[in-house]
Amino acid sequence: MILTGLLLGAVLGYVLQRSRFCVTGAFRDLYLTRSTRYFTPFLLAIAIQAVGVAALTGRGMLAPEPASFAPLAVIGGGLIFGVGIIMAGGCATGTYYRAGEGLIGSWVALIFYALFAAVMKYGPLGGFTEAARARTVADATIHETLGVSVWVPTLVFSAIVAVLVVRRYRAAKARAASGRPSVTLPARRTGLGHYLADIPWSPWVGGVLLGLIAIAAWLLSTAAGRNGGLGITTPSAKIVTFLTTGDVTLVDWSVMLVLGILVGSFLAAKLSGEFRWRVPDAQTMLRSAGGGVAMGVGAALAGGCTIGNSLVETSLFSYQGWVSLVAIMLGTWGAAWFFLQRPQRAAEANRPAPVLTPAS
Amino acid sequence: MAAYTLQTNGSVCPFPLIDAKNAMQQLSRGDDLIIDFDCTQATDSLPQWAATDGHEVVAFDRTGEAGWTITVRKGA
Repeated sequence: MILTGLLLGAVLGYVLQRSRFCVTGAFRDLYLTRSTRYFTPFLLAIAIQAVGVAALTGRGMLAPEPASFAPLAVIGGGLIFGVGIIMAGGCATGTYYRAGEGLIGSWVALIFYALFAAVMKYGPLGGFTEAARARTVADATIHETLGVSVWVPTLVFSAIVAVLVVRRYRAAKARAASGRPSVTLPARRTGLGHYLADIPWSPWVGGVLLGLIAIAAWLLSTAAGRNGGLGITTPSAKIVTFLTTGDVTLVDWSVMLVLGILVGSFLAAKLSGEFRWRVPDAQTMLRSAGGGVAMGVGAALAGGCTIGNSLVETSLFSYQGWVSLVAIMLGTWGAAWFFLQRPQRAAEANRPAPVLTPAS
Repeated sequence: MAAYTLQTNGSVCPFPLIDAKNAMQQLSRGDDLIIDFDCTQATDSLPQWAATDGHEVVAFDRTGEAGWTITVRKGA
């Protein structure tokens, strides 16, 4: 039943659009504004999935196989991917859901991302990717090295996340009590519609639902004959390869999942009055294309993107997951400095940056 | 007190926020900055920035499908 992928993908796209969930932003803002507004909810999603998957594995309903660890490919690929998502303005899922919102720049990034993921996985550079990813070291997971049950890292990590969540919640409450709360848009709908397609969902709602969707992905994907959780890069490469070769065996549950994200985010945006075809300038378009290439190459080498590695492999406590999360994050920080902070600092010295016109 | 408009339509996040911060530096206390934007994520990041940095949001509304305007009065 690969159609469950389409359905779950649509739910994922809907949730991401409404909660404005952006893993790129979560990593980037840790550096740019020292904000954990989206980062802590993202860690919460990992923790929820980790507990769910460990429990279902214990009951024999899942049999996850963590990726073996190829340090050079994972670190190099993660850094390249991190730079790519800053250039493209969104990670793999972010690019999918923004494409669904009508951003032409995201379509450009998406096409180059899928194309270069295919080049690296099924195309002329497939041999290179395979050779790079074959240089593995002994242990695949943290608990394997420690010689303990998967529950040990799961519970330790969950406890850390619980502390972070409580601290973040208290800080937000204290700020709301002392200063002005963040202003929201006037309501356009009442009743259920107000919650479903009017007000934005908080990052916490996004994080919790993302964790639950990730668990559902394991169950539904396994039922459809694919042993895996959420994944974005491989299905994107499969779509390109299917379209160019006609090999229908490539169309699996995960392909349906990524197509579903487009559908879900389009519906969410359309219903909330947030869909419009938006065309960026040539420079943004070129940067998105370059970002897409880096995303495809980086994710193929690292064996996953911000979802496949940073959300799913991390919840299995594989080295690939955690090392690539750090590498991607460092890549976004370097690129945020290079593309966002550096030009701004140079501009401050030279020109009165944005053009301001007196309002009548 | 003066009011200025900053047109960021077509810019993707985080550029509307970066431009807004830059523009704000040129204004005096009590001046209004009217920011037009069409990046969805800025509906979250702009009011968050105003609240954190102590600026007052005097208006925030939609201007059409996927278009917004926010007026931020410079605080401290």
